[in-house]
Amino acid sequence: MTARSYKVARHVFTLESDLNIDEGLKNYTPFAVPASESAPAVFTLRIVQFTSPIEYTEETRQDEEGQQIICGRTAGRQSVFEFTLTHKHAGTLVCDEGYKNSTLYLTDFAPRFGINNALMVLYALATAPLGTALFHSAVVEHGGYGYMFLGKSGTGKSTHARLWLENIENTTLLNDDNPVVRVLPEGIRVYGSPWSGKTPCYKDESHPLGGIVLLEQAPFNKIRALRGIEAYAAILTSISGKRWEKSIADALHVTENAIAMGARVWNLQCLPDADAARLCHEAIKVR
Amino acid sequence: MKLKEGFVLRDVCGEQVIMGEGIGALDFGRLLCLNETAAFLWKKAGEQGDFSADSLTDALCAEYDVAHEQAIVDVNAIVDEWKKVGVVE
Repeated sequence: MTARSYKVARHVFTLESDLNIDEGLKNYTPFAVPASESAPAVFTLRIVQFTSPIEYTEETRQDEEGQQIICGRTAGRQSVFEFTLTHKHAGTLVCDEGYKNSTLYLTDFAPRFGINNALMVLYALATAPLGTALFHSAVVEHGGYGYMFLGKSGTGKSTHARLWLENIENTTLLNDDNPVVRVLPEGIRVYGSPWSGKTPCYKDESHPLGGIVLLEQAPFNKIRALRGIEAYAAILTSISGKRWEKSIADALHVTENAIAMGARVWNLQCLPDADAARLCHEAIKVR
Repeated sequence: MKLKEGFVLRDVCGEQVIMGEGIGALDFGRLLCLNETAAFLWKKAGEQGDFSADSLTDALCAEYDVAHEQAIVDVNAIVDEWKKVGVVE
């Protein structure tokens, strides 16, 4: 087996496979680490060819824009995640308890989609007890701080990030879809990742978190600060997890509480225009 | 009645909040804030398993210095709210 190791937000994970999957791993290149730095890994994923269906009982499923994840368990109590794209099977992930060792049975249909989904699921679950959260968010860097834009699908997270790039000087894109946030003794940091949605922006960089903005479409631009439970509610739905598994829910809750109380959080009702970016920047920039 | 499976009481930034986390509760889609009395009753309801407004009223009177009639009113208001939002069955 060929082993490759990657470090994302300072957590190392290892892939083992004999399949020809190099083409599907290009987004991981900036995160590659040599074998000498590969221990200890938070998880190891073995990728093999899918040959026959895996039997499991469905627990729940999520469906977003034709991308589906069916979650369940085998008779032997292993967690199963089946990934389909436009209802075609891309792969099935079977995990041991704690998500340390898993196997992805990959079809030839959409290997990149299957690998990315399996790694995102494993990353979110294996790092949950480590004060780490995989977010659904677009993130820009400005003045040495990371600013995260959250919102439901189609709200305009990427659009708002682009408006910052176009209208706020010295702004760069850190990640467009799935950044990682860590609660550390020195503070909260946001990290780039190999997962960035439709925008190829795979940066092994990190910045102290400057602020989190929950976006909402409106016929005007208005921003207000969120505190306590409002801040918690704003970030809750943007964090990937498996809430129906108690140990994961408990761990994420600790991280979410720490972020809600330690980060600056806002709600921005906005139009997709330059004024929205300027108003937002003026309100939230770290001075 | 019983607390519906999948609903948990958590401390969110210092407040007592019911969240839907289990299979079947994932679509709850909101955070239900409880005052001190409601949080106490939620914990008691969980301990009792199969509970009623009467059994919770007894628990409330045993813990707090409250008139029985007032306790009945308070418990019923809280339990009605739980029924309305669908966290008990």
